Amino acid sequence: MTTEHRTETRAQRIAMVALFAALLAAFGMIPKIDLPLGVPITAQTLGVMLAGCMLGARMGFQAMVLFLAAVALGLPLLSGGRGGMGVFFLPSAGYLVSYPVAAAVAGLVMRALTGGGPSSPARLAGCAFAASVVGGIVVVHAFGVVGLMLLAKLSFVQAAVGTLVFVPGDLVKCVLVALIVHTVARGLPDWRFGGRHL
Amino acid sequence: MGTLYSEIPSWMHRLPAGLKLLLLALSSMALLVLSDLRIQALAFAAIALLYASLGAASRPTRRLVVVALIASALVGGLHAATGQPWLGLASGLRLVSTTMLGAMLTATTRFGDLLGVAEWLLSPLARLGLPVERLALQLGLMLRFAEQFFVQWQRLADAYRVRTGRSGGWRLLAPLTIHMLITARNVADALAIRLKL
Repeated sequence: MTTEHRTETRAQRIAMVALFAALLAAFGMIPKIDLPLGVPITAQTLGVMLAGCMLGARMGFQAMVLFLAAVALGLPLLSGGRGGMGVFFLPSAGYLVSYPVAAAVAGLVMRALTGGGPSSPARLAGCAFAASVVGGIVVVHAFGVVGLMLLAKLSFVQAAVGTLVFVPGDLVKCVLVALIVHTVARGLPDWRFGGRHL
Repeated sequence: MGTLYSEIPSWMHRLPAGLKLLLLALSSMALLVLSDLRIQALAFAAIALLYASLGAASRPTRRLVVVALIASALVGGLHAATGQPWLGLASGLRLVSTTMLGAMLTATTRFGDLLGVAEWLLSPLARLGLPVERLALQLGLMLRFAEQFFVQWQRLADAYRVRTGRSGGWRLLAPLTIHMLITARNVADALAIRLKL
């Protein structure tokens, strides 16, 4: 690898990490739907899934950490204009802190499924759907349940039943991610999904 | 984009950001560990008094505290419905107390001061490849990109409406993503040249 290529890589990494953190912020402006237990349905997990599938594990993780840092520093970037340290003590905090891990897992699954060679847009879309289910649903809800148990002192069954309400909506988001990946694969054929383009 | 910081001065504004963050971490940890209802009630009363003592400075964060109150009532109600009303009360008090603590920090600490503490705290993450020293640059870029998302979304929505007479909705997400990826590539090129990254 040449020095010139390395320097370009760092700049691209900074820009892409900031871009996907901004995507989450933009999704935060879409109105949330409040459900019982104080956990809202938001479009932001769509951004988590996209970050993992588009950027890969490492940069997806970084983008989510950047977003959460901005929230913790007091920027009102979460749905409903919420922000600051207080949001990390709400019942939904488990879902929030899952974002970096969820994006990383989605990126790892995307990379594992797409393999090293070129893939068709349809295959990439299928891989993105699967990666989103694992990262954006399984991981996010696992953290969410633990958060509800720790912060709201719910039993495992109560927390698990409570979180199931979100799964149908999350499956719709996984389909959306697949559609977006399909379109991006056609519009930007040189984009390497799963984090291998840099 | 504004922050939840309040320009109206209060006694808490004068405390250093690092000290406030440390106190927040210790007190919220203690609240999570201690489950006794009497301790939770005492802590809630003390924290509510502190929060009230901020006066008008707490205004930007009041909505968050209301959200916490509603969530606490729901969680408490669920516990009560399953025969554990005291656990529900303790959990609800804890949720509101810790949320108020976080809200106090946010309302009384400047973004830049918290950023300085955050850069110091996040420095171990540099080993994972996170360019911590460029946190401020990345936060600035993130806010700029967020604005660009709205500008680009509006352009795409207008174009779609002109073509079809209908609202684009979720159909615009994919073209928006492509536009923004191309923009980010151009920004990366500019960064590489200007900042010699």
